Amino acid sequence: MTLQELYSQIQGDYDKAMQVLRMEKLLDKHIRKLPANSIFGLLAAAGESMDANALFENAHAVKGVCANLGLVKLSALASDIAEEFRPGNARRLTDAQVKQILNEIDALYQKTASAIEQYTLSA
Amino acid sequence: MLKTTQIQKPRYVLIVDDQEINRDILGAILEDDYQLLFAADGKEAMELLRVHTDIISLVMLDLMMPVMNGFEVLEAMHSDEVLQEIPVIVLTADKNAELKALQLGAADFITKPFDLHEVILARVERIVELSEGKNLISAAEHDKITALYNRSFFWEYANSLYAYHTEIHFDALVLNIEQFHSINAVHGREFGDKVLAALGQEVQAFLQQVKGIGGRFEADHFYIYCEACEDYAKVLARFQAVMDEKFKDVNVRLRMGVMRRQENMEPLSLFDHANTACNKVSGNYAQPLMIFNEEMRRREILDRKLLNDLNAAIEENQLKVYYQPKYDIQCNPPRLSSAEALIRWIHPELGFISPGEFIPLFESNGMIRLVDRFVWENAAKQIVAWRKKYGITIPVSVNVSRSDIFDFTLVDRLEALIRDNDIRHGDLKLEITESAYAEDVQKMIDLITRLEEMGFDIEMDDFGSGYSSLNMLSSMPVDVLKMDMQFIRNIESNETDRKLVTLVLEIAKHLKLTVVAEGVENEKQLHILQNAGCNLVQGFYFSRPLPPEAFEELIRREIETKRG
Repeated sequence: MTLQELYSQIQGDYDKAMQVLRMEKLLDKHIRKLPANSIFGLLAAAGESMDANALFENAHAVKGVCANLGLVKLSALASDIAEEFRPGNARRLTDAQVKQILNEIDALYQKTASAIEQYTLSA
Repeated sequence: MLKTTQIQKPRYVLIVDDQEINRDILGAILEDDYQLLFAADGKEAMELLRVHTDIISLVMLDLMMPVMNGFEVLEAMHSDEVLQEIPVIVLTADKNAELKALQLGAADFITKPFDLHEVILARVERIVELSEGKNLISAAEHDKITALYNRSFFWEYANSLYAYHTEIHFDALVLNIEQFHSINAVHGREFGDKVLAALGQEVQAFLQQVKGIGGRFEADHFYIYCEACEDYAKVLARFQAVMDEKFKDVNVRLRMGVMRRQENMEPLSLFDHANTACNKVSGNYAQPLMIFNEEMRRREILDRKLLNDLNAAIEENQLKVYYQPKYDIQCNPPRLSSAEALIRWIHPELGFISPGEFIPLFESNGMIRLVDRFVWENAAKQIVAWRKKYGITIPVSVNVSRSDIFDFTLVDRLEALIRDNDIRHGDLKLEITESAYAEDVQKMIDLITRLEEMGFDIEMDDFGSGYSSLNMLSSMPVDVLKMDMQFIRNIESNETDRKLVTLVLEIAKHLKLTVVAEGVENEKQLHILQNAGCNLVQGFYFSRPLPPEAFEELIRREIETKRG
């Protein structure tokens, strides 16, 4: 599987990722590291305890990492959580809606991570 | 030729982000142009900053990080005098965070994701160059040792404070270290620099509390232009306490002169006065603070006037030479032996000015040479005039000041004086004040030996008032000791003084020196000196200094006594 094939499988924006990382080698390095990145687990844990601060910080981190990697959808979902819990912002979503988004993130992350693992094995 | 970029030190950029991907991206953007350091949180960043303070040109700082976030890093850097000079580019997309970061001293922002590499590189370059430019200006602005302003920037800023901040009343403070050159000489320059740096730091600390600026011009000259304080003794005491604390083994004494603000007085004049006040302190450890006052102002105005008027005084004959007789008291009755020439100034506006007012002033700037030459010439002519009129020679002592000794034309000048007036060297006696002997002893010995060989008599003036050592008496070829009047003042009532005078006379006898006692005012003193073997006496008991016409009366009397 090529990197581009992986990107089409995970519905990532390859061009956008390359715009940031410029070198396929660098993109390759970081996409391989994504499944091991603890921020997804930390975000899920923050969702369990509904710790507003932790939700903001980890969603912010997920948003940033995914944006760099052109994982547009994941980045947008994480951004919703980050804005919801940004210190000073008024809450707009119900806790249930938040959980819903977190579940979406988790599902999408699992799918993405397993595709990346397959890519890692294939290469 | 080398390009400046090749000459400059390598520039280091510290990239601080908890996400490796961000560090990698920024690293890839910057690695061709910069040396890179990486930190994954604020704590690591602070550690690297402390180790590599001198080489880091820029910090790229993520705000959201575990352990220690970007704001905390900004705060820590902002409160550190050195680290606050390193520019920071904040990595954020949050507008609210931008304002807070700006307030904490961030120089610029870069938003994530880092897609516009060329823009990022350009912004990094711009910030680094701006900061280097600022540091260059700052280096030119500041004195390296104390980080206070240097002379030109100090005046620049003092003048603009004066012009644009009229709501604040600024006083001028001048701070010096007593005998700083000796501290340097004895303990080394490096130690001297430490003393300066410590004092600079204290001045900075003081300026954290009051509005103002501080500068160091050269050596130990600190200038402070600050909001008026109530209690300057307290300010100085605090500076002194810190110096005592920091330099326990070395006595570092401060002195301070203050000029309080005056309506319409520019900083330059204000500091002139503060300087005058500070110089008045010099050497007075009991009173290290002086606030410029009316008396000093009067003195300053007078000094300026006297300095201005001296040339006219010489040309217009306002200066008069008076003569005080010296009597040989080993004869009975005592006989007129010689005279001392003394200067008087009768100023057209100020009237009679005491020599005590103008001699120290002219001594301090070398203008005393003009006065001395005037006296020498007049005395030489007077010797000739009296010789012609009365057929006897009255030798006259004249003063040779410290400045004359360093005048390389001195020997020729004196020789010409003798030749032109057709007098003998022995007719003009040269008085050199005791304190002049203390400096540059060898030069002094050489000169005196030379004058002595020419035939002049050398008299050591004010003996006993200052620094002379007995040792000097044996190495200096002097002919006459003039005992200071302080010695004589109390000899009739004070036994110690009497013993001292006797001792000096005995020593002089052994060294075959003639002794002149100055300031003899009464008969008791005269008898004591007579009995102790003193040769010559000068003082009010015989006569005050007289103008030449009045002195002639003494000559006539002397001639009559001789005949009779």
